[in-house]
Amino acid sequence: MSRFFNSQILILIGCSLFVFYLAGVPLVMLLYGSVRSAPIGEPGATYTIQNYIKAYFDREFYLLFWNSLKFAVGNCIVSFLIGTYLAWISERTNTPFKKLFLVMALIPFIIPGILSTIAWILLLSPKIGLINLVVKGLLRLEAAPFNVYSMGGMIWAEAIHLYPLVFLLMSAAFRNMDTSLEEASLSAGSSTFVTFRRITLPLMRPAMFSVLLIMFVRGMEAFEVPALIGVPAKISVFTTKIFLAIHQFPSDFGLAGSYAVTLLAISTTGVLIYGRITRREERYATVTGKGYRPRVIDLGPWKYLTCASAFVIFALAVVFPVFILLWSSFIPYYGVPSAELVGKMTIANYTYIMNYPLALTAFKNSFYLSVGSATLVMLLTSVIAWITVKSKLPGRVFLDNVTFIPIAMPGIVLGVSLIWVYLTLPIPIYGTIWVLLLAYITKFMPYGIRAASASMIQINKELEEASLASGGTWFQTFWKVILPLLMPGFVAGWIYVSIISLRELSTSILLYSYNSTVLSIMAFDLWEGGQYTYVCALGVLMVLLLVAMAFVARKLGARIGIAE
Amino acid sequence: MAEKRFMVQIEFLEKYFGEDKDRVHVLKGISLDIPEGSLYTFLGPSGCGKTTTLRCVAGLERPEGGKISIDGRPVFASGERVYIPTNKRPIGMVFQSYAIWPHMTVFENVAYPLTIQRRPRRSKSEIRQKVEEVLKVVGLHGLEDRPAPKLSGGQQQRVAFARALVNEPKVMLLDEPLSNLDAKLREQMRFEIKALQRRVNITTIYVTHDQAEALAISDQIAVMHAGKLIEVGTAHQLYSRPKRKFTATFLGLTNLIEGKVVELGGDSRPGQMETKKGIFSFVPATGLTKGETAVLSIRPEHIQVHKQQPQGLENVVEGTVKEAVFMGDAYHCQIAVGDLLLRVHTHPFLSMSPGEKVYLHLDPQSCNGLPAEDVEGMDESMLGA
Ligand SMILES: Nc1ncnc2c1ncn2[C@@H]1O[C@H](COP(=O)(O)OP(=O)(O)O)[C@@H](O)[C@H]1O
Ligand SMILES: [Mg+2]
Repeated sequence: MSRFFNSQILILIGCSLFVFYLAGVPLVMLLYGSVRSAPIGEPGATYTIQNYIKAYFDREFYLLFWNSLKFAVGNCIVSFLIGTYLAWISERTNTPFKKLFLVMALIPFIIPGILSTIAWILLLSPKIGLINLVVKGLLRLEAAPFNVYSMGGMIWAEAIHLYPLVFLLMSAAFRNMDTSLEEASLSAGSSTFVTFRRITLPLMRPAMFSVLLIMFVRGMEAFEVPALIGVPAKISVFTTKIFLAIHQFPSDFGLAGSYAVTLLAISTTGVLIYGRITRREERYATVTGKGYRPRVIDLGPWKYLTCASAFVIFALAVVFPVFILLWSSFIPYYGVPSAELVGKMTIANYTYIMNYPLALTAFKNSFYLSVGSATLVMLLTSVIAWITVKSKLPGRVFLDNVTFIPIAMPGIVLGVSLIWVYLTLPIPIYGTIWVLLLAYITKFMPYGIRAASASMIQINKELEEASLASGGTWFQTFWKVILPLLMPGFVAGWIYVSIISLRELSTSILLYSYNSTVLSIMAFDLWEGGQYTYVCALGVLMVLLLVAMAFVARKLGARIGIAE
Repeated sequence: MAEKRFMVQIEFLEKYFGEDKDRVHVLKGISLDIPEGSLYTFLGPSGCGKTTTLRCVAGLERPEGGKISIDGRPVFASGERVYIPTNKRPIGMVFQSYAIWPHMTVFENVAYPLTIQRRPRRSKSEIRQKVEEVLKVVGLHGLEDRPAPKLSGGQQQRVAFARALVNEPKVMLLDEPLSNLDAKLREQMRFEIKALQRRVNITTIYVTHDQAEALAISDQIAVMHAGKLIEVGTAHQLYSRPKRKFTATFLGLTNLIEGKVVELGGDSRPGQMETKKGIFSFVPATGLTKGETAVLSIRPEHIQVHKQQPQGLENVVEGTVKEAVFMGDAYHCQIAVGDLLLRVHTHPFLSMSPGEKVYLHLDPQSCNGLPAEDVEGMDESMLGA
């Protein structure tokens, strides 16, 4: 009799099953695989804790743990300091040009991690690093002043890539703070410094702690920097160890599994603590919600210094890396800029890439995967967001939680898990582009649900009810009313997911095959093969593709739905 | 009177919100019969459950108990597990926020109920014709291609009406449709809604907390309070012959005098009530019994002021003018009768000044005797408001 409720329940069940298949099954298979004596499917496999014993009783494990910890904490501190400093001067001081800082913080998102890592190697390598050579020449030094192949170098390359996230989160925290609380302290007679220590800092503490946690987890999960810098420098962390355990011959799946479970445990702990700090409602809180007028500190002449420092950071994060990539992409062999090389500039690298047989496949695959995963993620999460935000269906909280599981799964761990899944299940997609598509949807679902939920909350319930009262079914209502109204969030989420799909490396690298190569893998292979100038040409093309996609998505979104 | 058909029937409707400890009982056994073609108003203070009742009729809320029928067909019956979803009910609804879809034009908004219909599927030209017709009815002809966000509040409301009407529903549901308009437009729209409803002759349920609006517009009014139905009647009945203390105080202004019924009267004889201010003749509400404590309710405009003591009249008391405010069409006075303060509206020619001694005649035909015990949990602040 109750058809309307039935169709809702069918949707809930369908979504739950699919999301559980995406997020829950890999998790279960990973845990299962890590206690098997041989890869699943091979005859004679038994239950064992041998993999864990082998891992934990190895001295190398503790070295690995120590390295991962140093790297993650270092990344966390450096990116936090840079990001928070920028957020503070842009939100709470009268630094000139501070409106530009947001744009400057968003640009680095377009540069894939593998490219920024390569750029920093080209800038700071002791032998060929541009900065090293320039500084050495200027100061007439004997040896190169910087060495990227060190823990410090790794931390720097990671932190300068990740600080924009800190900037965005901390800006929101500064903006949402009720500044009248500070004013109350000032009017009670405290100095600016005492107010900062007694009022501002305690108020900001939850936000700061949660940002630190995110950056720690990001450092733990990082793959590009440890693989490209750490491996040659003989500094191993969990992610690279897992990668090597699978890439060696024969692969040691059991060991990879036990390391993956360990890494998963660490990042899950981080994410759970984070979840406790930022309660559910805050997770979806809109940044511009409260409209407090921030109290702006007049820095006097210091404001020119803060402004200059912001531009220096921008130069380090964007201008230098982009310059070195561009430069390297136009020269016939790698070298420092010189009059001689300028004369030899050529587009040969680009023609090489264009004619490289695998390149076309990689471009196609990356493009399809990026568009496909962004579209499917946003459609799926829009429905889930409707269930969790608008419906009163039982089980909606559970669905919400399952959707968020992958946020705690480092890319490399997801890769290992999916190997288990598709070597076991009789679904013949291992080694095809489809397994990558499923991996991307799984991995980026949490980002999609954030964007979709934040938008869903803004839609007045009556707009939806008006469609039902007009005789619309649930599907008609969703398609004709909710989805168009959701368009701003849908497009924002779509752009973000398509960008991070296009630069995804750490999961793809365990799951690709020749025919399912993607751009980031191709860049990785070219780099490993020492073909620096080709990588840079490929990188420039990748960034152009990303910019074009973001641009088209915005145009399309504005036409379909309501303008923002 | 011709036999009356009821378009909407609600029986013993029960609705709870929240779970476990936070569970609140919002509708406590509401029963109503809404005659075909009438404009029927749910009136009550905010939070009393009007919107919830309306949403139960629409199917947007699912009640815990009771039965709702539209046009003789049950759309909800708790016992028989009947529940027809909103989109299958023959209704049109105007929401408080109007809920005009901002991504569509006026035409698309109004045509929506027709375009999504599968059976019968309508042709493009038929849809265009129907939309134009209904836009003409609500006075929006020629605005078809205007994007919805470019409409004024009043225009949005007309679009909402057109959208609710276009598919010729059996019942139109209006939830405080005027509350988002400014005062001037609100007065004008009252008459337009009334005229529109007469013209299309659709059974309409109208929710409002504004008693003046309810009096002006309704064929029948159901007064609600705290999840219960207090009383149903025409505007005239409820205003001049309320049966409950709550109705008397919520609709318009009234004076209440506590007392005890000494004589119930009957036929054309008035009842007698003993109060601290003496014995008053009054018209008893049905159900009042002899010896019961009761209240006497009289509206300010039904008290006549005399400067000299009138002879041969019942229900006369002596008082002192405390306050007299000139309102143009009347003086609004507060007159103290001992410790009792009565509101009285007098003719503007009868000038009065504070401190003056006057005699008040409480017209027995306008004195309503009502049960003193009224709604449980009734807020004292609502009395004499
Ligand atoms: N979705 C809901 N969840 C919980 N309580 C609700 C909900 N909707 C309404 N209520 C409560 O039910 C009561 C009746 O609400 P409502 O029908 O909107 O009142 P009215 O329209 O008469 O102002 C109020 O106390 C309100 O707080
Ligand atoms: Mg209401």
